[in-house]
Amino acid sequence: MSSSAGVGGDAPDLVCQLDCAQGMVDALSSVRWKRHQDAVVEISEHGVVLIVEESGCLQAKVYLKRELFLAYEYTAEGRPRFGLSLGLFVDCLNTFSTPGHAPVIEIRYPGPDMQLLLKTVDSPDACIYAEIRTRIPDTISWDCNFQSTGNVHATFTEAVDDLEWPGSSIQIVLQPDPPSVILRGEGHGDLQVEFPYYANTDLLIAFQCDQHVSYRYKYKFLRATTSHIPNSVLKDNRGSKVTIGRGGMLKIQHLISVKRAGGQHSHGDISGGIQQLSRIAYIEFFVKPEEDESPVNDT
Amino acid sequence: MRSGLNASRTPDDWSFVTDIIVVVAVVVYRWSKKAVGPPVFFDRTLPPGSLTTKSTDRLISPRITQWEGRQIERAMKFKAFLTQDGVHLLDKRTLFFSQSATISDAHFRKHLACSLLYITINLLSGDGVQSVAQFNKDVLFRDYRISSQNAGRIAFAVDVALLHRALRSALTIQAQARDDTAAIQIKLVKKLPAGSRDPAPFLTFETKGRVSAVVQDVPISKPLPRDDVQQLQSALEAAQDLPQTLVQVQDLAQLQSLVDRLRNVGDLLTVAITRYGDLHLQVSTSLITVGSEFRRLRVLGLRADPPIGDRTLSAPTRTEMAIQKGEGLSVQVSLKHLAKSLQCHLAKPDCAFYGIAPQGACLTVIFQFFIPGTRLTDKSISFYCRLPVLDPGSGP
Repeated sequence: MSSSAGVGGDAPDLVCQLDCAQGMVDALSSVRWKRHQDAVVEISEHGVVLIVEESGCLQAKVYLKRELFLAYEYTAEGRPRFGLSLGLFVDCLNTFSTPGHAPVIEIRYPGPDMQLLLKTVDSPDACIYAEIRTRIPDTISWDCNFQSTGNVHATFTEAVDDLEWPGSSIQIVLQPDPPSVILRGEGHGDLQVEFPYYANTDLLIAFQCDQHVSYRYKYKFLRATTSHIPNSVLKDNRGSKVTIGRGGMLKIQHLISVKRAGGQHSHGDISGGIQQLSRIAYIEFFVKPEEDESPVNDT
Repeated sequence: MRSGLNASRTPDDWSFVTDIIVVVAVVVYRWSKKAVGPPVFFDRTLPPGSLTTKSTDRLISPRITQWEGRQIERAMKFKAFLTQDGVHLLDKRTLFFSQSATISDAHFRKHLACSLLYITINLLSGDGVQSVAQFNKDVLFRDYRISSQNAGRIAFAVDVALLHRALRSALTIQAQARDDTAAIQIKLVKKLPAGSRDPAPFLTFETKGRVSAVVQDVPISKPLPRDDVQQLQSALEAAQDLPQTLVQVQDLAQLQSLVDRLRNVGDLLTVAITRYGDLHLQVSTSLITVGSEFRRLRVLGLRADPPIGDRTLSAPTRTEMAIQKGEGLSVQVSLKHLAKSLQCHLAKPDCAFYGIAPQGACLTVIFQFFIPGTRLTDKSISFYCRLPVLDPGSGP
């Protein structure tokens, strides 16, 4: 079991153990809007953050708190970052999760050649292992210093998914009086969807907005924020928080529960409720608005 | 309406069949681009378990190499009743090929043979997975009659999907009859297809129930010429070259699930098998390596004790050491091929053995069937696949 422990001489930055590969796959798949997609992973004493970015306009972060792991040994100083292919990472984790069996996976970084090493540790007679090559990360082109101007705790994001929007962008309007959210699209015909807060309390769980806010966002980016969340997770979706910050930065936050496969572990039953509460992965998307000079705003 | 083969039959025609021990029907899909399906090859010369042709055939006409001319037609006959067990074996356990083959690959080559009935896929084409299912004729047939001028063998190509469909229809009629009288008879016939002037060969299924009778003609290719039959025979014989070490995999569903997921990672799989009973699968690309090792599997053939202390080593190191010591072999195969061979678990084998042929010639998978209700091997059916090796790999 300790085969690769001594390889590098000094201890690796991170050794952690995971017993919910499928939950992790679900969480990471939510931000996988392309098949081949690069991600940056940042590890710290609090957990692991995975960051994905596209064309400077869309950014997603998955927060995997250390409580999600069975064991979490962090020995590095600073916050090591490395880049890897998100697609490969997800596909690789997927090979670990066999139906009906949730193996304990040990994740280790860095390996002798700076790889990310994964292996199962719970069965001596059958093991799965993986080595993923990492690279020096790209610098994250923008870090959002997010200040809220209005936010909605809502599940209406499905509207973005389910409707046929006529144009390439959607205007989101939050207005305080009457409190409501309006989504508007223009193109070959117009589409406007209005969600009055008081009529949709099951849809808009909370609403907070002091001033009229209106920004336009690329439809494909909005779609990316919701459409890749696996259906299995959507069933017990805890709602998403949609916030528009200063300058129109849109933040959409999902909470995804990272359950163990099967969910029934004899030893975990007593504290099951508490455990399940902490077994949540936070996923945040940031979408930059379209430049607002011209209302048509086509390139 | 029925033409050809059986029309002029007299009891004497079948007198020679008393010495038939084995029938090989080879259905070869190699002419699948033509409208007809695969070839079928019936061999009356082979004792079960031995595939060498013995010169028992008084009927052979050595000059005849093509299935042409009335003389041969007259000599080539096949007729039998399917047994209940036979129907079950074909329907539930073997003809699953129909799904995998027709959907995945139009050029899929397929052979159906009887010794024993052989169902062989890709045996002659050389590319892709070769599969051979082999049954003792007594399991499949009763009142079995065959004759040909080709050492008592007939081989033809048939579209297995059509064959399966005909079988299912026959089964339905049989089920409606609710008794055993509705036997399914199959025979080779030649008849004039609608809109055609040339008679074409068919494999006909005849089921007579109490209230209805069904006759279903499955188009087949012309029987294979002698050369092809010989080639098929030698291919079957070559396939008897067993790996020296076989390891047993019991949970094929688990393996299939793993292989399906590995296919997302890469295309090439390195398979290593050691005499300690370890099966090691690894996919490796420039960006990622994913592997899985199953240890302490049951070993058939050459075995060895694992070196002391190897538990502390990583799976790749362990495998590499075994290969260096000559106690393991490793080959590279296509994951697509392996996935395809794993579809064979739809045939519900009781377990499977994996082995690498000498010199890494191929990866062999032998499926084992138990006699229902026992742990005894059912010797009347044998079923194996051979996966082509893409690169005679040296190590994982």
